[in-house]
Amino acid sequence: MSALGELRSLTQRRDSTNRKGKRPRTADNKVAAVFLAPWLIGLLGITVGPMVVSLYLAFTNYNLLQNPTFTGLANIQRMLSDERLAKSLGVTFTYVLVSVPLQLIVALAVAVLLDRGLRGLPLYRSIFYLPSLLGASVAIAVLWRLVFGADGLLNAFLANFGIEGPAWVSNPSTALGTIILLHVWTFGSPMVIFLAGLRQIPREFYEATSVDGASKWRQFTSITLPLLTPIIFFNLVLGIIGSFQSFTQAFIISGGGGGPADSTLFFSLYLYQEGFANFRMGYASALAWLLLLIIGAFTALNFWASKYWVFYDD
Amino acid sequence: MKNSMQRRMLAVTALSAVAIIGLAGCGISPGPSADATSPTTDAPVTLNLGWWGSDPRAKATEAAVGAFEKKYPNITVETSYSDWAGYWDRLATQTAGGDAPDVSQMDMTYLSSYASRGILADLGPVKNILDTSTIPKTVLDSGRVDGKLYAAPIGAAANGVVINTSLLDKYGIEIPDTNTWTWDDFNKIALEVTEKSKGAAHGVTPYQNDPFGLQIYARQHGEELWDARGKVTVSPKLVKEYFQTELDWVASGAAPSASQVSDNGGATITERDIATGKTAIFFTAAGAFNGLQAAAPDYKYIIGNWPTDSHTKPGFQYLKPTMYWAISAATEHPSEAALLVNFLINDRRVAKLFGTERGAPASPSLQKVIEPTLTPEGVQALDFSKLMTKEAGPAPAITPNGASGVSAILSRYNDQVLFGQTSPASAAKGFIDELQASIDAAG
Repeated sequence: MSALGELRSLTQRRDSTNRKGKRPRTADNKVAAVFLAPWLIGLLGITVGPMVVSLYLAFTNYNLLQNPTFTGLANIQRMLSDERLAKSLGVTFTYVLVSVPLQLIVALAVAVLLDRGLRGLPLYRSIFYLPSLLGASVAIAVLWRLVFGADGLLNAFLANFGIEGPAWVSNPSTALGTIILLHVWTFGSPMVIFLAGLRQIPREFYEATSVDGASKWRQFTSITLPLLTPIIFFNLVLGIIGSFQSFTQAFIISGGGGGPADSTLFFSLYLYQEGFANFRMGYASALAWLLLLIIGAFTALNFWASKYWVFYDD
Repeated sequence: MKNSMQRRMLAVTALSAVAIIGLAGCGISPGPSADATSPTTDAPVTLNLGWWGSDPRAKATEAAVGAFEKKYPNITVETSYSDWAGYWDRLATQTAGGDAPDVSQMDMTYLSSYASRGILADLGPVKNILDTSTIPKTVLDSGRVDGKLYAAPIGAAANGVVINTSLLDKYGIEIPDTNTWTWDDFNKIALEVTEKSKGAAHGVTPYQNDPFGLQIYARQHGEELWDARGKVTVSPKLVKEYFQTELDWVASGAAPSASQVSDNGGATITERDIATGKTAIFFTAAGAFNGLQAAAPDYKYIIGNWPTDSHTKPGFQYLKPTMYWAISAATEHPSEAALLVNFLINDRRVAKLFGTERGAPASPSLQKVIEPTLTPEGVQALDFSKLMTKEAGPAPAITPNGASGVSAILSRYNDQVLFGQTSPASAAKGFIDELQASIDAAG
């Protein structure tokens, strides 16, 4: 069954609950409504409400200090001729398309290594998981900037071998690389999910194929990978959605300016600058909706492509 | 297959959504409302005071606030402060939310942007409470937008060249007389630092992203960055030469590598090359001199005038207000707020507490008051400002509305030139065009 089919079956009502017992459903519904209310109010007030207002603001000129003035499609026209927007889209796409697959490859590789039944597996699992807990934090980003700075830890280490490293975070050609590295370093959470997935593959497959003389690599590509594809798909979708919205790392490592010569001008950072630093909140709202459309498009693409490579064994 | 339950849920959701939008929509209008001439009363009043700066400034300001509260026991002042980088995002957001402090520290970069949009209170109606007569006219005029005074200058400073004399002594380089030195002398010394230290230190950290420096450079060549009507008047040729000078310094070795220079742009005072002894010369407003010396106690610094050459036009220096105090137009207590500002800029105790931390006080009488209390660096900064007052020409127009991003725009083009991504000529044109577009687009 395809991913879309799975989704559809989950959302269809199951009519089997009313066969036995005469429990009135209205009482249940009232209780449910009471418990749902806090979350629903939060959803409407803090998420949906502002989203709708932001959609309105996207068609206005709003400098935060005075009331917004309606300007129709002016913001969209601005987007089409905005060079910095093009640059930031380039930087963001590069980041997403490089760091997400890279992170998943590392996560899978480490998961496979750990799955061999090492002694002290819980300890290793925790150690590898730790960076992903801290990775999106400001503290780690500050630390990263120091480690990869001109006088940072990395250059001090390289100096031991007589190599004079460049200023990694201050050079336009390497600054984005340090942020990609930071993302790959937080491979812990996809790794834990892969580990769980690996545990679910029946041992008999491996035993049967060993008997037939299959190499470890052949086993990996013909058994492990196909059976893991649902989990790879899940991690891929979530990874892409999350990394499009990356902000903290770019903000801290570039000092808020988008890096040397805009080389770390992530989309959300550009949006933030336009909205809060340049008094163009209307344009920033339009950019936010553009991001939503881009992420939506990538997710739809993922779901559509999934029927070609994701294997659900049911 | 919708039954009535689902339909009801949908209706509730839709109604709530509409209600939320209505509420949220109400929140967008901050509209100024206060009447600036309401008299002070003895009823208890709470004021909010906000500023940016480091810890020493915070301590001094809290002490000043304490003195104010003693003098006016019915007024309580709640303070809040942050660093420069986050301050402006925060102020804009607070203003949007109707939450701006009654009195905030203001900078010239944003003065016009805030005043033209009616966010700041006109200080004319409270002039019987807020006495600005002690501030010299040219400095006070830098607080005016369209002729009305919107912010009271706290201090004023000229832009100078800071030299790390410990470094120069270490490599046996003669310390120049900054009152008479030329650009040739400057370049020679900068190169000497690099050569004699064999690259351990470099001569100069280039101008980079400080529009103050660009303004002085322009005035040395008889031009100005912008005029009072918001037109960018500096010529592309001049900006090209400005960028080219930086490139020449990097190429000759007088300045460090492009990435080291670029890194300096966003660094805090303690991380800058001038404070860590990596370069010996730096261009900065004299108001930052104290902070620099405090950040680098192991080195000795002097501050002096920019070098000149035979083409330099006289009167290129001017006193730029380091920062101002401004009153929010939405404040509920305009008279009390004016009392606070008056106390902060005129009271002798406050002047002694602040010293030259916010730049030399604008008022000459207060300058005399604080002189005995200053550290040697403070005296240096003060003497430099006094010297520059004699040399100064008329002050240029303040930063126009819409040009508050000038530092970021300059920094971006500067980086592109440093890393060889654009030529100085096209970067110059790009900078001027983008700055003008930003000014034109502002409403």
